[in-house]
Amino acid sequence: MRITARLVAPFIQLYGIYVIVNGHLSPGGGFSGGAIFGSSLVLVAISFNLEAGAKQISHHTASLLESGGVLGFTLTGLAAVFFGGNYLANRAAGFPLGQAGEFFSAGAIWIITIFIGIKVASTITTLFYNIIEKEQTVGATKRTDK
Amino acid sequence: MTYILITFLVFLALFLRFMLGVEVRSILTFYLLGLIIYLFSFTVAEMPLFGSIDSPAFNEVPRRYLESGVAETGALNIVSSIITDYRAFDTLGEATVLFAAIAAVIATLKSH
Repeated sequence: MRITARLVAPFIQLYGIYVIVNGHLSPGGGFSGGAIFGSSLVLVAISFNLEAGAKQISHHTASLLESGGVLGFTLTGLAAVFFGGNYLANRAAGFPLGQAGEFFSAGAIWIITIFIGIKVASTITTLFYNIIEKEQTVGATKRTDK
Repeated sequence: MTYILITFLVFLALFLRFMLGVEVRSILTFYLLGLIIYLFSFTVAEMPLFGSIDSPAFNEVPRRYLESGVAETGALNIVSSIITDYRAFDTLGEATVLFAAIAAVIATLKSH
């Protein structure tokens, strides 16, 4: 189980990045791709003990990524204001649209999707670590009392 | 018809209370919930079928999204263009709610 989990985790992450980045061409987008990426880190934390999972992404890095996701979303909207359109505008603000079907098309949709994907992945990881660590400390104190 | 139903319900309540020992409060709670479900099911029966043409959700707004969505936003995935371009402010609200939920969970679990 441990060898399998360690072998499979990079492929799960690659698939998650594929779903996030192709958000404007195929079904998927930011939320589902972020969930797939976060579940690979949860898999590593389940099959090994918790310290090996916490070494993949530390707590400080996870909270930094999560705040950065929401901040990037807001700053993309403000960048649209700087370019001369409304808040969170796409074509009226001058983002390059490109051909429909190309990889680098649909100016602001791509950027927003990547920020949302980063945010959701770190959300799932942080939630899992906090709940499991709380249960470990509470369980340990209860056992030593008896 | 309603008299038979009321008689049956009263007998059921008496049986549950005196034979099985269920409290009166929980019996009355379940009866009230059953009445509310019965009244709401009439509203559900009046709704249009899923995906029918004459439902009031098919006005000119989805038509505009479907017809000129690819030309205006340049994305082939129309769902993605709706949630990140046409209605991007609602997605910003959802990201804020996720962030607030995680902050509340961490604040609750770290204080012990």
